Amino acid sequence: MYDRPTLAELLEAVRAHLENQIVPLLKDDRKRYFQTLVAVNVLRVAERELLLSAEHLQAEWQRLNYVQKLDTLIPADPQAARDALAERNRKLSMQINDGDFDTAPQQAALFEHLLQTAVEQLQVANPKFLQSLALEDAERERQH
Amino acid sequence: MADTLNPADFNERVTEYLEAVSGKPVEIKQLRPLAGGVTRDSWVIQAKLGDEFQQLVLRRDMMAEIDERALERDQEFLLMQAASAAGVLLPRPRWYCTETCILGAPFLIMDYVEGVSIGSQVVNLPELADARRRLPEQMGQQLACIHHIKTDNLTFLPRPRPGYSPAQETLVQMRVTLLKLGVHNPALVFALRWAEKHLPPGGEMVLLHGDFRIGNLIVTTDGLKGIVDWEFGQLGDPYQDLAWPCVRGWRYGRGEMQLGGIGEREPFLHAYEQASGRTIDRKIVDFWEIMGNLQWAVAALAQAQRHLSGKDTSVELASLGRRSAETQLEALRLIAQQEM
Repeated sequence: MYDRPTLAELLEAVRAHLENQIVPLLKDDRKRYFQTLVAVNVLRVAERELLLSAEHLQAEWQRLNYVQKLDTLIPADPQAARDALAERNRKLSMQINDGDFDTAPQQAALFEHLLQTAVEQLQVANPKFLQSLALEDAERERQH
Repeated sequence: MADTLNPADFNERVTEYLEAVSGKPVEIKQLRPLAGGVTRDSWVIQAKLGDEFQQLVLRRDMMAEIDERALERDQEFLLMQAASAAGVLLPRPRWYCTETCILGAPFLIMDYVEGVSIGSQVVNLPELADARRRLPEQMGQQLACIHHIKTDNLTFLPRPRPGYSPAQETLVQMRVTLLKLGVHNPALVFALRWAEKHLPPGGEMVLLHGDFRIGNLIVTTDGLKGIVDWEFGQLGDPYQDLAWPCVRGWRYGRGEMQLGGIGEREPFLHAYEQASGRTIDRKIVDFWEIMGNLQWAVAALAQAQRHLSGKDTSVELASLGRRSAETQLEALRLIAQQEM
């Protein structure tokens, strides 16, 4: 066991320190000001990854099973799982280039997977981007 | 050396240089930084050259050159001169210097053009509302003018390798970059394969600005006043320049406005057709919008690698690797709108 703060709480403490204590001091150094805002944002990305990556890993693995028509079990160890996932994505890339997904039903299944993978990446890296897309889609629907 | 010149020395060096090239006594009244990019630093010079008060912009290379496709300062100067002679709206280029011993790096000096160029300001400032209404048409007209420029004397311009159309060249460059990065991203692989299967017919090759978009246009309440950042000038397909300003990454928060966050695509394309005499196939513009997103997606990964390799460490470059997914998602969404 590790005593509190948890990893997420530690990152949050660093984020708050940078944003509240450091950023205000940098107003006259434009370059460092913007770079530190980026650093603050990166910490938020890290916090979201901590929260979501296990679930995303599972979901991507299951989608790959469906797309690649396999029924493999995800390794229990998280690092082994990430390595195995990277290997499956290398394999998938090769299969795409071999033309294995050129016909309609296979391509549709692949496409949905790729879309969902990008969405999951952005749930971690930039959920606001997803929100703005959703708002735009809703507005376009409303107008039709 | 570029970073070690103190302000007094910098001021003195610029004064000496201006005296040498203008043949007049020079007194600098003000020398201030302009909102900089990553590869250049920019300065506004207010000076008296002889009897005349002039405002100039000096753009100096930084130490780490990001893109090998970018033109050298002397090449950019010649390109700007050609554009200026053709009547394109841009700051008049005045002098260039390829020596590194004067200011530590090559630099270019041009007239200062008053106005706003920062993307988020052009898109959001209330006082530019009228200008935004005028911009699509002005942009179309200016591009038509740029694409009409004769390029025989501009032999330094990058162009597709022999036997490759601009689309094929762009595709192969992206694939090579991904190979060098060791990236196996199925979304990118899928999208590049889609692009390869939907290549538009090879068209004519014209002079391209290469980075024509909101962010590189100087705007006042009257509208477009100057086109800047000519370092990606090249020979290519006119559609490349038509689609690039439509890429979502250049909408500065106004995602629903397809043309750079300031307007719709149609008035821009229509004005281009009228001014150029070309009929534009909207589907081919769609194709190049997808390509533009893919170029961004690949470039973002390459920027992250600059940090990861230690070549150019910065948290900003590192974070770009996670933003590649935005343009990957956008490319997939756009592909879905086309017949797959």
